[in-house]
Amino acid sequence: MRADRTQLIRWGVVAALVLFVLFGFPAFLSLYYVDAMTQVAIYSMVALALGILVGRVGLVSLGQVAVLAIGAWVAARLLFATTQPYPLVLLEAGLITMVAGTLIGLPALRLRGLYLALITLMLAGAITVVLATVNFPNGGHGFLGYNGGLIHIPPIRRPSVAAGDPAYFRYSVIVAVLMFLLVLAHIRTRPGRAWAAIRQSEPAALAAGINTWLYKLWAFALASFITGVAGGVLAGAVHYLYSIGFPTQDSITLLAVVLMGGAYSLWGAVVAALLYQFLPALLNNWGVSADWLIILFGLGVVQVLTTAPAGLADQVPRDLARLGRLLMRLRGDTG
Amino acid sequence: MPPWSDFEPFIVSGLALGGVYALSGVGLVVLYRATGVLYLAFGAVGAMGALIAWSLMQAGAPGWLSWLVCVAFAAAVTLGYGVVFGPALAARGPLIKAVATIGLTLILYGAMDLLWTTSGGEARSITLPTDNGGFSIGQIQVNWTQVIALAAGVVITAATGAFLRYTKLGTAMRAMANDREITATLGVPVRRVEAAAWLGCGVLAGVAGLLLADLVALDATTLTFLVISSLAAVLIARLRSIALAFAAAIAVGLLHDLLTPITSLTNYRDMTPFVIAAVGLLVLSRHQVLAQSREES
Repeated sequence: MRADRTQLIRWGVVAALVLFVLFGFPAFLSLYYVDAMTQVAIYSMVALALGILVGRVGLVSLGQVAVLAIGAWVAARLLFATTQPYPLVLLEAGLITMVAGTLIGLPALRLRGLYLALITLMLAGAITVVLATVNFPNGGHGFLGYNGGLIHIPPIRRPSVAAGDPAYFRYSVIVAVLMFLLVLAHIRTRPGRAWAAIRQSEPAALAAGINTWLYKLWAFALASFITGVAGGVLAGAVHYLYSIGFPTQDSITLLAVVLMGGAYSLWGAVVAALLYQFLPALLNNWGVSADWLIILFGLGVVQVLTTAPAGLADQVPRDLARLGRLLMRLRGDTG
Repeated sequence: MPPWSDFEPFIVSGLALGGVYALSGVGLVVLYRATGVLYLAFGAVGAMGALIAWSLMQAGAPGWLSWLVCVAFAAAVTLGYGVVFGPALAARGPLIKAVATIGLTLILYGAMDLLWTTSGGEARSITLPTDNGGFSIGQIQVNWTQVIALAAGVVITAATGAFLRYTKLGTAMRAMANDREITATLGVPVRRVEAAAWLGCGVLAGVAGLLLADLVALDATTLTFLVISSLAAVLIARLRSIALAFAAAIAVGLLHDLLTPITSLTNYRDMTPFVIAAVGLLVLSRHQVLAQSREES
């Protein structure tokens, strides 16, 4: 009974927070920060997907930005070619990216640990090279939809209900919330338990009758789906896509912020996205070079790996609670 | 298909590139076997060393001093990282150890972008005095830097092989590759052997950084992530065999440059290391068993 009430309170707080983000942010923040927060919403999905792989199943992928690029490419192509409603395009982009990611993941899943991480890095590098040659669709014809001779490149369209920046921000947050709920549904049920068993020990999971191959593939498919949807939202957010915007090194930085944010918690994905997209916007506004941030991320990775494996999402509340107890004790002593 | 004469100059440049990849690959394999760390900051320390050398030369320092500083910087940073963070992470798996070196990579990369800004559009370059001299085989011009790059790859591979096989320190490194705990029990000064491996790897990173800055480009991003090409070779060698790493590195370098004159493939030539590594790894992992040895878990 008591546990139910705590659950209820927790859900209430989360719902209030989401509502505040949806309606408070566009009202208080300038357009510059609304755009930055749209990016945060998009990258929280990407970080969420990488968090499933790293934190839940123990598969480290160094190629997640390449998957995001595939999702954005597919969505842009569909948006130029058809007049389908935006949510349908997002769903299709997610599904096609899922198929592509699973096909890539299928052979890679025979590898594990360090080898899997490195082969995803290699595949991401290969995808980046292909994208640089193929280019993103810009309203041209044919399968690839790229026309280098176009002078007036049409922007990638947004949903009609969310044409303006504040409306599109709300749209992105709602998509992100849906993705978080999708992941929560997985974690609370059978796949989540199977993943936890695999992360602890793959031989033990196998001995317990878990189809490790299926559930690892499932995690890959789910992560690719979410990243593909995020790519679709990204396409509408930026209007124009360029292959130079998805360099291989971004996958490495992304892993760094996901580890810093905390790969074991869903909140970690939000923290990671804030680090990855909001901090640069903030520093840019203050006139500080973003290179300091790269250095900070580097230090963060080393710090997380040596002292706080669960990341900031775990460390900060714990340390704050410790600080609170210390203050209470001090007050008790003096009073 | 272009005529054969179009390919000839690329054989030379490909072999030179392969030589540097081999040199890097050997450094990576030796460090991995001795400490279990796949050193992903290999390219970044070399790049920063090369940039420091460039700045020194701009300030009028003699060439040889700048090169020494480049190698010394790479060696010092690598050794420092190994001594400070090696023991703290020694008990963790290879994946965690490798990801921690990504932290070092990002720190160095950010620092390079900050100190040597690229916004001005000025292209930096390092030219070694060996660029000017050379000889020709038939129609092909070969300069001494290219000869040195290939020779360094061959010599370092052979020397490291002999070192691991015949010297006491080398034997200790091989023993640690098998089991760190047992090696320590047998009275091998584990920390000192590890420090030696870090130092050796750092020196090779500095040399590779200097050579690549001359052969490819002096650019922080390019040099930092060129390590991925060496990684491809190291992966095919399954992080164990330096002979295999050498052969794969030469193959990667050669194939990459030989694709240049083929117009339909030239845009895709940067995929060479990735494709070779992916195919090689998948073929090699066909018969993998689930029971993991301790070093792979």
